[in-house]
Amino acid sequence: MRVTNAMFIKPKCALFCAGTNCTCLFFKQPINENEKLHLTYMFCFALAAFNGRVTSNRKNASIINALVWGLRINAFRLLICFSLKSSEEPSILSAKSTLKKPFLFLLVLCVVLTGANLASGVEPVASPDDMPELELEKDSLKFGFIKLTDCAPLVIAKEKGFFDEEGLQVEVTPQPNWKQLLDNVINGELDGAHMLSGQPIAATIGFGTKAHIITAFTMDLNGNGITVSNDVWGKMVENDPSLDSPTPKHPITADSLQNVVQEKMDAGEKLQMGMVFPVSTHNYEIRYWLASAGIHPGMYTSEDIKGITDAQVELSVTPPPQMPSTLEAGIISGYCVGEPWNQQAVVKNIGVPVTTNYDIWKNNPEKVFGVTKAWADENPDTHVAVIKALIRAGKWLDETDASGKLVNREEACRILSQPNYVGADFEVIRNSMTGFFVFQKTDKREMPDFNVFFKYQCTYPWYSDGVWFLTQMRRWGQIPEAKPADWYATTAEEVYKPAIYLDAAKRLLAEGKIEQGDVPWDTDGYRPPTSDFIDGLMFDGKKPIEYLNSHAIGNKD
Amino acid sequence: MSEFAMEIDNVDVGFGPPSQRVEVLDKINLKVKPNEFVAIIGFSGSGKSTLMNLLAGIQPASTGGVFMDGQLVTEPGPERGILFQNYSLLPWLSVYGNIELAVKTVFPEMTAPERKEYIQGYIDMVSLTGSEWKKPSELSGGMRQRLSLARTLSMKPGVLLLDEPLSALDALTRANLQDEIIRIWEEDRRTVIMITNDVDEAVLMADRIVALTPGPKATLGKSFDVELERPRDRTTLNFNREFIELRNTVTKYMVGINEEAKALRTGANLPLPDLMPIDFLSVGNQPRKVVLEDEEPSSESTVTQDKPELVGVGVGNE
Amino acid sequence: MLWRGLENEPSLFVFSFKSMSVMSKDDSKMDSVKYGLLKLIDVSGFKVFDPVVRLCFREEPGKQVGEIVRYMVIPIIFVAFCIGAWAVIAPRHKTKAGRVPDPSQVLSALSVNHTLHVRENEKEADFNALDSRREDRIASVEVTLKEKETEEVELKKKLAEVEVACQAEIDQRLAPLNARLEKLRTSHKEAADARKSEIVTLSEKVVAETAAEDELTALMASDVKLKDEAKEKEKRVKELIEDVKSNPPKNLKRTQLAYNGLAIEIAHLKKRLDYLGKSNRGEKVAVAKADLAKKEEKLKAADEPAGLLAAAKSVVRSEEKVDRIASQSYPRGTTIWFQVWRSLFTVFIGFIMAALVAIPFGIMCGLNRVVMACLTPIISIFKPVSPVVWLLIFQIVVGAFFPNPETHPFFVMMSNIPWVSSLKVNPAMVYSACTVAMCAVWPALVNTALGVSSIDQDHLNVAKVLKLGLWQRLVKIVIPSSLPLVFAGLRISLGVGWMVLIAAEALSGSEGLGKYVWDQYQNGGSMSFANIIFACFVVGIIGFFLDRMMIILQRSVSFDDGAAVV
Repeated sequence: MRVTNAMFIKPKCALFCAGTNCTCLFFKQPINENEKLHLTYMFCFALAAFNGRVTSNRKNASIINALVWGLRINAFRLLICFSLKSSEEPSILSAKSTLKKPFLFLLVLCVVLTGANLASGVEPVASPDDMPELELEKDSLKFGFIKLTDCAPLVIAKEKGFFDEEGLQVEVTPQPNWKQLLDNVINGELDGAHMLSGQPIAATIGFGTKAHIITAFTMDLNGNGITVSNDVWGKMVENDPSLDSPTPKHPITADSLQNVVQEKMDAGEKLQMGMVFPVSTHNYEIRYWLASAGIHPGMYTSEDIKGITDAQVELSVTPPPQMPSTLEAGIISGYCVGEPWNQQAVVKNIGVPVTTNYDIWKNNPEKVFGVTKAWADENPDTHVAVIKALIRAGKWLDETDASGKLVNREEACRILSQPNYVGADFEVIRNSMTGFFVFQKTDKREMPDFNVFFKYQCTYPWYSDGVWFLTQMRRWGQIPEAKPADWYATTAEEVYKPAIYLDAAKRLLAEGKIEQGDVPWDTDGYRPPTSDFIDGLMFDGKKPIEYLNSHAIGNKD
Repeated sequence: MSEFAMEIDNVDVGFGPPSQRVEVLDKINLKVKPNEFVAIIGFSGSGKSTLMNLLAGIQPASTGGVFMDGQLVTEPGPERGILFQNYSLLPWLSVYGNIELAVKTVFPEMTAPERKEYIQGYIDMVSLTGSEWKKPSELSGGMRQRLSLARTLSMKPGVLLLDEPLSALDALTRANLQDEIIRIWEEDRRTVIMITNDVDEAVLMADRIVALTPGPKATLGKSFDVELERPRDRTTLNFNREFIELRNTVTKYMVGINEEAKALRTGANLPLPDLMPIDFLSVGNQPRKVVLEDEEPSSESTVTQDKPELVGVGVGNE
Repeated sequence: MLWRGLENEPSLFVFSFKSMSVMSKDDSKMDSVKYGLLKLIDVSGFKVFDPVVRLCFREEPGKQVGEIVRYMVIPIIFVAFCIGAWAVIAPRHKTKAGRVPDPSQVLSALSVNHTLHVRENEKEADFNALDSRREDRIASVEVTLKEKETEEVELKKKLAEVEVACQAEIDQRLAPLNARLEKLRTSHKEAADARKSEIVTLSEKVVAETAAEDELTALMASDVKLKDEAKEKEKRVKELIEDVKSNPPKNLKRTQLAYNGLAIEIAHLKKRLDYLGKSNRGEKVAVAKADLAKKEEKLKAADEPAGLLAAAKSVVRSEEKVDRIASQSYPRGTTIWFQVWRSLFTVFIGFIMAALVAIPFGIMCGLNRVVMACLTPIISIFKPVSPVVWLLIFQIVVGAFFPNPETHPFFVMMSNIPWVSSLKVNPAMVYSACTVAMCAVWPALVNTALGVSSIDQDHLNVAKVLKLGLWQRLVKIVIPSSLPLVFAGLRISLGVGWMVLIAAEALSGSEGLGKYVWDQYQNGGSMSFANIIFACFVVGIIGFFLDRMMIILQRSVSFDDGAAVV
């Protein structure tokens, strides 16, 4: 990254120098080297005041971001020198200097612009005419999804015509499994897909299939649950009598599972549990849940790609739809999966969902919309159009009435229950999508945030989300070697592309489709540190190593 | 130019590796004059088909050689037309097509209309007119053999080799075809070597009958000249003393050599069955067909033992 | 006339079914229609209909009726019996994962799937509808929508009522069970408390050494046992309660289903209105054209060079947009019949690939023992490999040829062939077809080799006598002679290919019947199982017809009747 930065900064500096020269020519003034340097700084500072405009350019956004920061610092250095009246530096203001006038002009401009920016606190809203119209490179697209309720934004964007309004003809097709889905995106069969948050990251760093996948849209928060078989639940209740109630107190930790695990190990076996993919959120969540109670879920090593080294509970990959039947067959005793497969267990009376990932990590990112870097580079405007439609779909899904009731979810469930989408029964999908979650037949709870598609500015591609997944990959050994803290940041920046998101959001804002407060316009991409975890640890995306080291179980650097 | 149309000179044929070698034919010598109709008569399994393959050039001789017009026969060819026991028709081709294939290959220079006429001529000759476009599977056995005959004749072979051509047919059809073959042969006489197991047939059709001793190590035995006048009429022939005598002589001879062979093969330690062959002498006034059959596995166990030990030897046409 | 030859030598006639059907004692007029029909029936292998045709022509009615009863009526009764047994057993056989659908559900799966197909057709027609046609459609859709909406309101009311009634019923049924459970619990608790105090007193006695220690352990053991028993009893009652809860009254289920159906239909009608309205292609083109007109005006109005350039650029872009929208086609959702066509297409591609490889190699194997010896290890090693493995291998191997499928000339070419383009040829289809080919190649190859190597010696003798050259021998003798076996092999190949394809599609996600089955399985809805069984019938019936087709082909090339055994 640093190398790339250096490579880019040089030509950009040259550009700015050229700009300065032009300014000088405009004032028809001769110019010496020292003056040129100062003027360049000033010019840059003026430019930095426009940084909103600069960052909105999605191409090389991160690079320009870094550059602008560099320029800001230099400009401040200059200002400080100026105020200190250092003898050699700001000769430009001496009466002799012929550049006094242009310098002062630029200075005033900077102050005014910066002041205006600070005063409004936000970017100036551009009118639709200001934006260059999107030139769709490709208007007929094919997206893949896995039959889970959190594919909703894709399906809704199609069914509610949001893609249509962007001039896109979109086909969405279910994929047999996550691996196939990723392969199809990589080989170009699909233009993009509903992906596990871990997938673009893992693909980019080369765990599993290596390919540079990026994402500019987070599809939803939460939405997973951990279900255990009736048998295990019975034993958990035995271990912790407080659970023996129609509505036990939540969150339920894995503490009461410890004895079950120990019993199994005494019998020479290991408790088996299922998750959906090695780099899925489910894998990290169930590991987190188990580890928070001191149960070791096993490590990945370069030899052990199943991740069962030292395991007290062995986790294995089972595709979501097979979860209930595998549980019923006794092959696994519990699983972590998205909806509707936890509700299915309740309906079929084969297991008890004990906790949701909302309890494990409040408002954790779940799925993203991923495309290959190559595709995004080839179709930048189409990409923006797609993200626009998805943002609108997310907003539609989370629309509430005055009383805070989700108004469109019922319709969304109808659409999702069609056989070519999720296809599960409407009643089953409705169980979790309309703000409730059924833990047991007797225990239907209100969980308005079980599926979040737009609230909490969740569709923004946060770098900190990427960092969290990277820390988990490192924690469980999927990343075999220790990495420095800035590696986490740069890797997250390679995968998460907020610039594209912001471009789309800005257009939507200009069109009046979303509101100012829906999007974190001025963030650096890191959410504020949070300790909303089941074990109460503090996660700060900027301090990945500290976070990693705070866990009792798992790799430490 | 040799004075013989066909000559077999001291030929041995054997199969198998040296350790388990089975000698099928042993020191065969035969000379056939041009335009002569020779019938070779022998028991089933005595190596008749091997002999026929030898003549056709399909089966090479281990020692000795077969000559046609003084030339050594090394491979099969259209100049020795062979009429196989099981017709060898190509089932996917029609009557016309089967003959056409032969004609096209043997006379490539013929123009299409010429060829058509030529083929039609042979179809008419064997009385298959009207069945030109039928497939062999739609024909009866007799018709198939007629077709096979037409195909063989259409190649204008110098020597016609008939390999038990009628043995798969029932008695009536057989008689019919015998007459037909004789008729065609008389129209355009040429050298014919016929193999058969039917003494009547041999006597009725041939100029000379040569016996083949039972195998293994079959060889040619006595030769009988048939001096009955042609055309021979089967209805009157049955009352012809000369015919009856010749037939009885040949039959006796054949039965005799078979007994001999059996004695040789089985040795003394096996009791001979207390069975007598049919009393051929008593047939006198009744016309009777005599077929030499010594392998009828269903008849008697003792007979089964007499089966020549040639089972499994790769003679294709047996 | 065909059979005149046979009359001469009737005893020589080889008896076969084919000839039996034609050779009748009835020497009266040969009814050409009748024999044409019989021949057709015979060739296509539907010989069960033979007596029906004969009966229609009044040929030995008694015998024919007998045959019909034996070979048609009894089998039909048997099948009906099987279906009946299915209908009776299915509802009784349930696991927690679902229950086996009965025949009526499978039948309704057919209608549901067909409805989906019809709806796609409607939407496509709506998308393409123009002018007056569009208005007519809008009018009719609006009318139906209104009707349905009133219906929905009523049904919703009814559903609410039914829900209340059912809840009441369930509560009523649950009340005694709950009471029983409560009673059990209290009695067990009391008993447990009593035992506990007994244990306490006994343990005090043990401490005081007035009782033996083993007495205490015995008491403890019996306590544990009683506790387990009590738990078991409670569990049984709990199960009963669960059972009541998880089996809502049928009435509720029915009303829910009806309501769901209606809701889906209303959604469909609304979507149609959308496709007739702003999503209609004509409308979209109109909007784009209006936009273009505006841009053109701007271009005319522009007076300074920079603005002029920008305006011109935007005009060009708008023109492009109009063209693009005008050439858009409706993005059809996949329906079962589309998947059937795509599967058939894929299997034929795979089959043809297999045949193109198998026949030449088979002939070479049959002709030359060295080639045979060379290929034998390859055949024997790869023949038993599972299609799943091939699929995974082909995904990698074939995938490498299409780094960018969108622009790959092969796929561009495919998308320009009229009928094929609608099937959306993609790499997944290619490697599914390759998998089919890989698995189907072996029977054809082996059979061809066998056919060639087992040519009748007589036929070869003919070739020898005629001194045919290699090529002539191949064309005139070898190939025709081995054709029946080649086709028998191809028939097996096609059967294998069809079977393999379903698995390959399920795994690769190539649209087709296999994917349909897999998607249904993934859906896990209440209709899914019925859909899977429905798909099972579709696959079976298509497989049956493919087989028939191959039989007809095989018969048309076979020269002896025995070769084509049905």
